[in-house]
Amino acid sequence: MLCACSGEQFKFEDAPQSPESLATRDFSASGLSSRTGEWESKLDDVQVDEAESTLKEALSLNYEEARALLGRLEYQRGNFDAALQVFQGIDIKGLTPRMTRAIVERTRQRKPRSKGDIISSSVMSMHSVSLLLEAILLKAKSLEELGHFRDAAKECNIILEVVEAAFPNGMHEGIAEDCKLQEMFHKALELLPNLWKKAGFLSEAITAYRRVLVKPWNLDPLRKANVQKDLAATLLYGGVETSLPAHLQVWGSATPNGNMEEAILLLLILMQKVAYGEIEWDADVMDHLTFAFTVTGQFELLASFVEQALPGIYERANRWYLLALCYAAAGQNEVALNLLKKVSGQSEAKHKPHIPALLFGAKLSSQDAKHAHHGITFARNVIDLADQVNEHFKGQAHKFLGVCYGNAARISISDSERALFQKESLASLNSAALNMKEDPELVFNLSFENAVQRNLDVAFENAMAYSNMVSEDSGRGWRLLALILSADRRFRDAETILEFSLDEVGSLDQLELLRLRAVLQIAQEQPKEAIETYRILLSLIQAQREPQSNNSESAKNSDLENVAERKIEMAAWQDLAAIYTKVGSWRDAEICVNKAKSVELYSPKSWHTSGLLFEAQSLYKEALVSFSIALSIEPDYVPSIVSTAIVLIQLGSQSSLPIARSFLMNALRLEPTNHDAWMNLGLISKLEGSLEQAAEYFQAAYELEMSAPVEAFK
Amino acid sequence: MSSSATSCIQTLSSILSAVPSSVSSSSNPSFSLLHDPTVSAEISSLLRHPDSGSGDNNLCRWLYDTFYSTDPELKLVVLRYVPIIAGVYLTRIALRKSLAGFEAILLALYAHETTARDGQPVSVNVPDLSQPSIYHDAKGSVKNKTTELNLAVISPTLEPHGTMRSSRRARIVGVALELYYTKISQMPARSKVEFCEFCDIWAAGVKNERRIPLPWELLQPSLRILGHCLLGSHNSKELFEAASSATVSLYRRSLHDIDAKAILATGSLLRLEKMASDPKLSVDHTEIDMSNVLSL
Repeated sequence: MLCACSGEQFKFEDAPQSPESLATRDFSASGLSSRTGEWESKLDDVQVDEAESTLKEALSLNYEEARALLGRLEYQRGNFDAALQVFQGIDIKGLTPRMTRAIVERTRQRKPRSKGDIISSSVMSMHSVSLLLEAILLKAKSLEELGHFRDAAKECNIILEVVEAAFPNGMHEGIAEDCKLQEMFHKALELLPNLWKKAGFLSEAITAYRRVLVKPWNLDPLRKANVQKDLAATLLYGGVETSLPAHLQVWGSATPNGNMEEAILLLLILMQKVAYGEIEWDADVMDHLTFAFTVTGQFELLASFVEQALPGIYERANRWYLLALCYAAAGQNEVALNLLKKVSGQSEAKHKPHIPALLFGAKLSSQDAKHAHHGITFARNVIDLADQVNEHFKGQAHKFLGVCYGNAARISISDSERALFQKESLASLNSAALNMKEDPELVFNLSFENAVQRNLDVAFENAMAYSNMVSEDSGRGWRLLALILSADRRFRDAETILEFSLDEVGSLDQLELLRLRAVLQIAQEQPKEAIETYRILLSLIQAQREPQSNNSESAKNSDLENVAERKIEMAAWQDLAAIYTKVGSWRDAEICVNKAKSVELYSPKSWHTSGLLFEAQSLYKEALVSFSIALSIEPDYVPSIVSTAIVLIQLGSQSSLPIARSFLMNALRLEPTNHDAWMNLGLISKLEGSLEQAAEYFQAAYELEMSAPVEAFK
Repeated sequence: MSSSATSCIQTLSSILSAVPSSVSSSSNPSFSLLHDPTVSAEISSLLRHPDSGSGDNNLCRWLYDTFYSTDPELKLVVLRYVPIIAGVYLTRIALRKSLAGFEAILLALYAHETTARDGQPVSVNVPDLSQPSIYHDAKGSVKNKTTELNLAVISPTLEPHGTMRSSRRARIVGVALELYYTKISQMPARSKVEFCEFCDIWAAGVKNERRIPLPWELLQPSLRILGHCLLGSHNSKELFEAASSATVSLYRRSLHDIDAKAILATGSLLRLEKMASDPKLSVDHTEIDMSNVLSL
């Protein structure tokens, strides 16, 4: 004989005797046998007459219970329409208060054997309540199967209301454990938000999720975590801002303000559960977190979670790659590079090479000259894996290789090595161009490298191509173009370019270009115009610093931009000092130098400018002091090295000439194209009487000066 | 029936070939205008026309005027077309055509946001788990120190801009997309599909056109919209497929550019998309256990 209620099979000692309806017989049989524990406790706790009236009461519920059982039958068979029809016959509304009361009464902590503690006969049994709740749940699920999601949600909601009314503060452990009430309730809790989502009411879904989570309902930790995850996802992607109801906003500053904050809170809680071992690692949670943190720019925090993951979740090289991505995105390129070096290190030698990591390493290395050699290694590794890499990535590798070789040439201390690196640089860049003609970065680098190597025609072509290609971020293209033109002595053209570009570029680029215009004017011996340009430049900087009336705390510029701006300001003062020095206005020059030093004291150029000022006033000792301060800040600061030599030559004594020469040779080692150094070498040779040698030096100086840009290509 | 909606529809009738009577005589004309497929199809098609973005284009004029109407529902109508406007605009920059019409609309949207945000950035607070919240109890002793705010900026403060410049373009278009996102739950699915299609174009480029530069100011709001299209709305298969395609394109593009932020963001969306499209991987706890099935 099957018990329809619990679906379990039971054996009965005796056949049921009464000839009443099937439902009745079932109920009494099940009442007797399935819940034997409950029955026995009833006999213990309650008077016999109480037991009788309970049964009577039970008999009068038969109608609803019969419907519930029949409905379940239909549902299990997949006849959802029929099931619905059956369920419609149950008067849920009328029963809900009784159900709530029943739950309250029957789950109260029982005081042992107190006389006054009698459960009234009209109270439903827990079993009945469970049955009815199941009926409502199945009704909701039938509606769901038939596509009536909103109605299903409303039905499902009833279950929640019944139980929540009985337990306004949530369910503690141990309450209602051994009957199906809790199970039905949990299913309803999880079903309701899904129904609302299917019905397209995301706001209601979010509210439903919150209902599950804000009070304790004895939900299994894994299921609870899933609900938290689903709520986080709905908050993150739903696109419907649903603020917390007032009664939940009592947590002060800890109240999440907005969907994104709430989602992040939930995801952090889930990650904490993973960390404490309460739940398993869930890749979905990590992906949601990655998305949320990338959108909100919290890359370092994201990195900490990647690090927290236990070994085995990520492949080692991949973990380093992800960490490198996070740190690079956070602007910490050094950290990223260190991680990427590990990827190509010894420990990974036996594993398949991680090409994206290598390429990324090459890219980051190419952005700073001091990583030039690492970049060369990264790029070469990618290129050597020829058949595993597609054409595009090979092209990228060649590009980064070219840039790194160029950087390596600039930091090289050996002439022959420098020549080699420069050759390799152009070779790599040209090789990349075979694959990637349309890449603006590549075109810019081709122009730049050729410019540095004084191949001005090629440089010019590429610079023009670059400026035509990009409309965004074009400032550096215009600048390079202007510099190339200036190296070609086409000053008017350079100025035209600057005029045009000043309209197009952003404010920081504008400052750079204005300064370049002033430098051009100086080069064309137009000090008055240059001073005027500097005046404009400095007043622009001043205007940007002015506190805006409607900007309370937010800085207008980022930190990087502020630093760059200050650099330009300092450069402007330094240039002005140089102009005034040249025209003999010592006081003005001194004021400008001091202004420059007030922006940044430890700038070699500021001290160098002081030195030039002293030199112009024939105060050679003071000049030497200033130059040596500049060199103590930056030992390889070529202008000061050359200027020291020049002063030594001026001092004229026999012993100072060889010292001067050694300074100049040092300068040329660092910067072989420095025409001032060549010229002064010529002077020394002339003073020493080697006229032919002097002539050669002067020739070299002349040729270099003829193709020198007004300012170093950088 | 709002008079601005009526006059708005009247003007539109002179631009389009026909405005269906279901819209013009509807009891809620703004809503009908937003959702009517005939009107949307025609406006979309006109916006894609080769000369659509010029300063004297009357459709652009209509969109601009409609956005400035006092009826907030009508603003939604304009927002619905942001994907096409932004998409066509960005793809045509390289062609150096006159795009003053589009720029006027985009600047209007930007100005609206600038005023609405009143000089404040859009930020969220990353919570400190050592303080309890509605969803958890703090582990260990609760420190009573005031929690320092860990502010994460989603969108920095806006500077007012009256004109379009190449250095601001990405930011202005990005802000228009941010505005679109705030109303995305009210946008018809077709509009979102158009957005996904444009993501494909931006990412990969079409044969003869250059790819569009995708700085973070443009990419970040795009990814939020894409995340919604992919994982937020549950009911449109067409939208999910369009969003999947766009996610793959943007992911490939981020690898191509070796852009760390983009790789992280699009990579996570791609993995989530795989989970979402494979039903075997999701567990439904609400299933009734059918193992004890009756047979009478």
